[in-house]
Amino acid sequence: MRVLLTTDGSENSNNVLRFGAQFSGLSDQLITVLTVIRAESEREQGKAALLGASQLLTPMVSNIRTKMRLGQLTDEIVNEAKEGRYELIVMGIQPKRKPVRQLLKSPSILNVVEKAPCSVLIVKGPYRSIRKILLCDSGVEDSSLPGKFAVRYADLSEHEEDITILHVMSQISAGPGISGRHLRADAEDLMQEKTPEAKVLERNIAILNQPLIHPHPKVRHGFVVDEILEEAQAGDYDLVIIGAHRKEGWRGILLDDLARKIILQIDRSILVVL
Amino acid sequence: MNHFSKMENNLSDFPNPDGIPPVVDRSGIPVSIPKKTSKAVGEGRTFNLIRFFKLVVRRIRVDRILLFMSSLFLFILAISLMKDGARAISPFIREGLSVNNPLNSLGFGWLFAYLVMSGSPVAAAALAFFDAGAMDSSGAFTMITGSRLGAGFIVLFIGFIYVLRGRDRATSLSMGLLALSVTGVTYLIGMVLGYEILQTRMLEPLQLQSGTQLVSIVERIYDPIVTSILGILPRWSLFFLGFGIILLSFKLFDRCLPQMTIKESQVGHLSRLVYRPWVMFMMGSVITLISMSVSVSLGILVPLSERGFVRRENVIPYIMGANITTFIDTLLAAVLLNNPTAFTIVLVEMVSISLVSMVILIFIYRRFEHMMLNFVAWVTRDSRNLILFMSSILIIPILLMLV
Repeated sequence: MRVLLTTDGSENSNNVLRFGAQFSGLSDQLITVLTVIRAESEREQGKAALLGASQLLTPMVSNIRTKMRLGQLTDEIVNEAKEGRYELIVMGIQPKRKPVRQLLKSPSILNVVEKAPCSVLIVKGPYRSIRKILLCDSGVEDSSLPGKFAVRYADLSEHEEDITILHVMSQISAGPGISGRHLRADAEDLMQEKTPEAKVLERNIAILNQPLIHPHPKVRHGFVVDEILEEAQAGDYDLVIIGAHRKEGWRGILLDDLARKIILQIDRSILVVL
Repeated sequence: MNHFSKMENNLSDFPNPDGIPPVVDRSGIPVSIPKKTSKAVGEGRTFNLIRFFKLVVRRIRVDRILLFMSSLFLFILAISLMKDGARAISPFIREGLSVNNPLNSLGFGWLFAYLVMSGSPVAAAALAFFDAGAMDSSGAFTMITGSRLGAGFIVLFIGFIYVLRGRDRATSLSMGLLALSVTGVTYLIGMVLGYEILQTRMLEPLQLQSGTQLVSIVERIYDPIVTSILGILPRWSLFFLGFGIILLSFKLFDRCLPQMTIKESQVGHLSRLVYRPWVMFMMGSVITLISMSVSVSLGILVPLSERGFVRRENVIPYIMGANITTFIDTLLAAVLLNNPTAFTIVLVEMVSISLVSMVILIFIYRRFEHMMLNFVAWVTRDSRNLILFMSSILIIPILLMLV
């Protein structure tokens, strides 16, 4: 797997590098570390960041390449990802900005996720070993998140991982007289009743049932974003995985951007799978 | 704007194992939905203009057009009768019922809507009373607000009947409670704002230019009918006859609605996807503009989702949108009364509710959404809370009448 790690030399970047190296499978494959400088005057600073990254990663990764690009952060990361045909970008989240700036401009990380040609891993919080994963599957027929995860990332794991497959039912009854059993049922009850949600969960478990991976289904009821954030905290997961359902045309205009809200609000690392 | 990843938890739109209750009309009575009979437009590859027109012609339902025209005829006749009859019962409204201040008329409109299980006829009656001098503009304004609050009770009442028949409390009452709560909050805040706008008279210059022409045509057609009825019945009874006819006209209008066509369209994804709030707001506005009733447009949500479920993220802005365009028939009634101030009253009502809804959507939507759903959860948590809530919404309008 071709992995692009990004750094700006900060302490947070070191977490990005460690987490990225761990996620890449500690293998001997080539890992590229990229730093982006906005002006020539920052070149020395960039060099120092790359040197620090190399020193940090050398004990973990045998084949490291460093790169420096000049320009806007979002554009350069996306361009590098396209040119280098990477399969994963690993980035850190920027420190919180002033509310006015937040309103005026999207954080770079969101722009990268939007434009990137591949999946993006956003590293947040302190470094932690990946053992508990929360996979939030929307159940969209044409984009099976567990399927993509199984194909691309499942075999990178060198130790056992617990994966909780979460489906959030945010529905309420549209009117009186409707049977609301399923609006309160947990995953087990839904599976017993063979509901459509249960069928999707069962399919996902079958996909993820691989050596070293222990998938469990879970259903929560409430607002999609709230329930994902609450489950991530309650289960103390090391990594949250969501799909990047890029919508174009009318869907982009009409549909709410839940992934954006999750990325911004979640307090731990999140993988946005394209 | 970032559109990179809109998650869609769309597991709800699967074949229904439980069966779906029928759509209800504005008075809560189930109505049957005709099956789809013709193929969708543009289905074949050899699509051409002639074929398209043939399909359009084939889909036109002459019976529904006649039904629509009949309901419109009856609506105008009802307004004409109520306008005449209201003059005769004005003293009874002022002295008999003691509707003397805006709070009285708020309670009066609220209770009246409970009684007839509909808000629109009561709103039209409020304008007729204003036109007859039975109440001032503030009174008519608050009576219209009361009529909408009373109308919000209808969906809840149907749910309550299901609860009494042993159905689950939370499922049966959620939508009705949500509709009533959202309506209550936006209308009561809107009422304060609208009252101030009404006092400033800033919206009075905004009048429908072609209204006078419409009224002269209406008078030419309907005056002879009203005069001949007046020859048989006493003047006061014209109001009640008109009120009965307006209820009938709304019933007929409900039957004209092409519910299955909405279900077959892309709007059918409503239950599966999480839309942006303003999209649902617009959808609620447009569907209610066509159906002219919040309870009908909420009823439309049921067949839109095959299991009768709807995303909680989508519901509140839909109700907010519906709450604005539901005034369209009242606006038409104001035009037919040929009373510019009556038109302004309805316009102020629409503007104030729109402003309140916009502020909520733009600034505090997420908090508002949680607040409303938490309230619904509290009411349905146990019987004590439910009885407390039901008693409150029955007692409050009575108290308002007594103020």
